[in-house]
Amino acid sequence: MDQQQFAQLQLAVHEARRPLNRITMQAELIKLALEGAVPKEKALNALDKIIAGSKDCSDSLSELVAQFNPDQNGHAE
Amino acid sequence: MLTVLLVDDDAEFTDVACTIIEFLGHEVLTAANLAEAKEWLSKETFDHILLDFMLPDGSGLHLLESLPAGKQPRVTLITGHPSVKGIIKDMCGSNVDYLVKPIQREDLESVFSQKKTASSKKAQPAITKHFGQLIGESAPMQELYKLVSRVSRTKANVMLLGESGVGKEVVAAAIHAASECEGPYVATNCGAFSKELIGSELFGHEKGAFTGAVGRKEGVFEQAENGTLFLDEITEMPIDMQPNLLRVLENKVVIRVGGTKAMPVNCRVVSATNRSMQEIAESKVLREDIYFRLAVFPITIPPLRERKEDIPLLAEYFINQLNAENDTRFKWQPEQLEKLKTYDWPGNVRELRHFVHRAAIMSDPDSESIELPKTIESPFAKKQTLSTGLKAGRTIEEVEKELIYATLEKVDGNKTTAAEMLGISTKTLYNRLHAYGDLSNDSE
Repeated sequence: MDQQQFAQLQLAVHEARRPLNRITMQAELIKLALEGAVPKEKALNALDKIIAGSKDCSDSLSELVAQFNPDQNGHAE
Repeated sequence: MLTVLLVDDDAEFTDVACTIIEFLGHEVLTAANLAEAKEWLSKETFDHILLDFMLPDGSGLHLLESLPAGKQPRVTLITGHPSVKGIIKDMCGSNVDYLVKPIQREDLESVFSQKKTASSKKAQPAITKHFGQLIGESAPMQELYKLVSRVSRTKANVMLLGESGVGKEVVAAAIHAASECEGPYVATNCGAFSKELIGSELFGHEKGAFTGAVGRKEGVFEQAENGTLFLDEITEMPIDMQPNLLRVLENKVVIRVGGTKAMPVNCRVVSATNRSMQEIAESKVLREDIYFRLAVFPITIPPLRERKEDIPLLAEYFINQLNAENDTRFKWQPEQLEKLKTYDWPGNVRELRHFVHRAAIMSDPDSESIELPKTIESPFAKKQTLSTGLKAGRTIEEVEKELIYATLEKVDGNKTTAAEMLGISTKTLYNRLHAYGDLSNDSE
């Protein structure tokens, strides 16, 4: 992997981390809801967002694989 | 309460982060880019800025140039790259730190509490927790730290010896922390299980191994894989179970109760007892072969009376803990700490902690002063004296002499009061002391 490819990988990982960050914070919100500190509806909403965030993360990882697939764009030679 | 500015272009993240920051008791305003953040800074004063490193209109670092002169807010950069740490350290002052995504509630709590910690540090010297666990700067404790540090670099089994309440489990946790091993710290008390159940606790059991074994269970040896297993009160383990333990220690494999498969185990065993080495040898509560397997490196933990200079430090630590838990502001007076040092604490650190707790409950929660009882004594101390004084095999004369001296010590040598307590005449007391050859002419 050359320098340019490594930079691309770093950017892709950064993009994948964004939904992970959302998921973590939504999970913290659910913990607060279970402790009774915020309304339960917020927990339900947070669970939906976790599901959406997981899909986003999965999409980012698929893009990452596509980006480094030698059959598609000749990156890894 | 702090006023926080959260600068991040991820709307979902800022929304949920705001809820959590507000729950933590702080006021929070948000900005989605540098321009919005600069606008807020021109209008409001903030105690803390949480700043995303990559923003749509530039790097979060550009905002640092726009910070107001004078009392600057603390800044925490939010980044997806741990490598940014080095850059931050070089470019920014001590007022800037960082958090790496994904962020948790504890991370936020920790960055917001740093300011408070810094200011409270000025008010009182920090108490060092050696290996994250142990408190004390006395010579006996320095020696203990040296032993913990040395043994943590090896895989040797350790036996901790020490009186009840000296903190054997805390030392075991310190050894685990210092070892930096991958696996967990698992603790169990060998004295707490019946002969029938201890095998299952230590080695696990298969489903249906005995009545009530409704499922398969991992034993503590398996749970502590690649970590540390703490076996407290090892000398209370039934003697007929000890060969099974020996087999595990020697072969490093465990067979669950009711099972046939030998499973390899790998953990350091730290065991503990409040019996002395001599007592272990004489009372035969532990098989010799087990002793040598467990006590590859024996460590004796000093009783509190042998490190009295640590008492103020421990008392300070305990009261700080209680203050934090109960939102009080109790402070020790120097003469109170001196008084604590005069007592022998037969129940050791545990007794001191309970004493401080009791004193805190007795004191006015709105005041800073701590109310101490006139005398420090515990039923534990009495129990100890009685149990050592009334062992079978001693003569009545010996016990009588010990009781007379203990009473005299209690009343600071006042013979009239001592005689009253003992239920004898002062003359009889003098006669006894004469007989012991321990009465000088001037005391008559």
